[in-house]
Amino acid sequence: MAEPINIRALAANVLAPLLRQHGSLSTHLPDALVHCPEQDRALLQQLCYGTMRELFRLERLAQHFLRKPFRTQDLDLQALLLIGLWQLRASRIPAHAALNETVSATEDLNKAWAGKLLNAILRRYQREHSEVEAELANDPVFQWNHPQWFISKLMHNWPDHWQDILSANDTQAPMTLRVNKRLLTRKKALDRLSEAGLEAKACAYSPDGITLKKPADVAALPGFAEGALSVQDEAAQLAAGLLATEPGDRVLDACAAPGGKLCHLLEQNTQLKEVVAVELEPERARRIHDNLHRLGLQLECQVLTADATSHDWWDGQLFDRILVDAPCSATGVIRRHPDIKLLRQGEDIAALAGIQLGILTNLWGLLKPGGRLVYATCSIFSQENERIIERFLKQQPDARHQSIDADWGEARPYGRQLFPQVDGHDGFYYAVLNKQADDTQA
Amino acid sequence: MAKLNILEFPDPRLRTIAEPVEQVDDEIRQLVDDMFETMYDAPGIGLAATQVNVHKRIVTIDVSEDGNEPLVLINPEFTVLQDELEKMQEGCLSVPGFYEEVKRPNRILLKALDRDGTPYELEAEGLLAVCIQHELDHLNGKLFVDYLSALKRNRIRGKLEKKHRLETHQA
Repeated sequence: MAEPINIRALAANVLAPLLRQHGSLSTHLPDALVHCPEQDRALLQQLCYGTMRELFRLERLAQHFLRKPFRTQDLDLQALLLIGLWQLRASRIPAHAALNETVSATEDLNKAWAGKLLNAILRRYQREHSEVEAELANDPVFQWNHPQWFISKLMHNWPDHWQDILSANDTQAPMTLRVNKRLLTRKKALDRLSEAGLEAKACAYSPDGITLKKPADVAALPGFAEGALSVQDEAAQLAAGLLATEPGDRVLDACAAPGGKLCHLLEQNTQLKEVVAVELEPERARRIHDNLHRLGLQLECQVLTADATSHDWWDGQLFDRILVDAPCSATGVIRRHPDIKLLRQGEDIAALAGIQLGILTNLWGLLKPGGRLVYATCSIFSQENERIIERFLKQQPDARHQSIDADWGEARPYGRQLFPQVDGHDGFYYAVLNKQADDTQA
Repeated sequence: MAKLNILEFPDPRLRTIAEPVEQVDDEIRQLVDDMFETMYDAPGIGLAATQVNVHKRIVTIDVSEDGNEPLVLINPEFTVLQDELEKMQEGCLSVPGFYEEVKRPNRILLKALDRDGTPYELEAEGLLAVCIQHELDHLNGKLFVDYLSALKRNRIRGKLEKKHRLETHQA
């Protein structure tokens, strides 16, 4: 008989490379899930996401109890200790099971020597947790559970909102769906969900959005396989409306993967002349194909694996509409990818801003005079958002900023900023730019 | 000592019914040692001779945390002490990577010969009881996947056949 699998050890192996800044949850967790017995998959996900979500707080606790940090080759033990602390602190797993399974996981990691140490620390935490947590309460990293650079930058950017943003980041995001207007109305979709026993409500800002009370497996969603519904955050559903395509338009969606906004704009307008989607990474471009296929939209769009910072893929025909969903720090979607807090470094932001301005400048040349460009990110740092637009407008005389008239987010000097909302949409940014028409020269 | 090759489902040789050991001699003891080495290396907590393509009624087991309580079962038999069934997750070195719940009696009485051929009895429960029954099944050509639905079994078969094809390609 094979040795029973210890799920805590599996989880530690998922998180350890992340502690070394290697890969992400979305690269390592699927591999581990393949090796995980079906009935334990939910537990494995819970251990990984739960621990990642509380990581900075747990790290402070671990630091408090460890006389010296683990060596780099023992970061799996560090991960295991954090997993153990998370179970005792924040999960509903009974303490004795959490302790036994976590300590015996050291053997599965072939590091039985650390069993006693982990056992001692976890038991000390059980005994002393109120004192220790009181002692750490004034430490901002413990209190806000984010890295220091992140807290400082946010305080500087959003003196009125930073606390709300930090707290919202640590909550679980709701599961939000987009209704395919071509197939049914939102009213009809809500009825079908309710018939299937799924509690749901219409989104406040996206006319095509529905938020589920509790997350569900997509396979259980009525009409998912047929393309009637897609999973997409409400903030991301605002792009198609801002683009305001018209029949006969030629549209470019740059940095399009996984294709949610692309599919949405195709669902909304059946009479576009041509739609081109560009994505740099072949693996991610394949996901666009998958999504288009599920929705039956594959014939209405051309997907290119190409670089949005260059022109070499372009056929020379100008576009009426361009969506630039720029690569960004993804700091608006930390609820869905809690590892971003760990993987992103302060110095990344300036580098990203350089790429964003480069893409915007490059694609501007592909826009027809009189055409419209929508710039979007899922970042909450102004350096990647309104300041990009500010810099761009200074260098581009034929660009006109158009303010967005909407009731979502917050109006900024340029564009609108959305912050992650508890039980609501993700953090996002949108700006609309129009290109001056030719007629002045005529 | 030598590490032995473990047969993998759906290899038909796993369906062979093993013969009783007539005499526990040095040759048998050598096989037992090799089976332990193979089992610990895998890593596993139990191994039946059938799995290493030797069709004799021999099983090695060690369910201890530290791997220092080896148990040898030669010509083993068991009787059920408690009819109540309990579910436990099982995996098998001949079905690598798959774990499923199987229901079995929770308490049994084992009778077997040890490494020296001396008869002994042992009351077992929990993981040890499950492991003994799992290994004795092997000696009768039976696998834990036989307790699952045909759908699950076929899915596992399909995935392992694919894995074996890939391994042959790479070889």
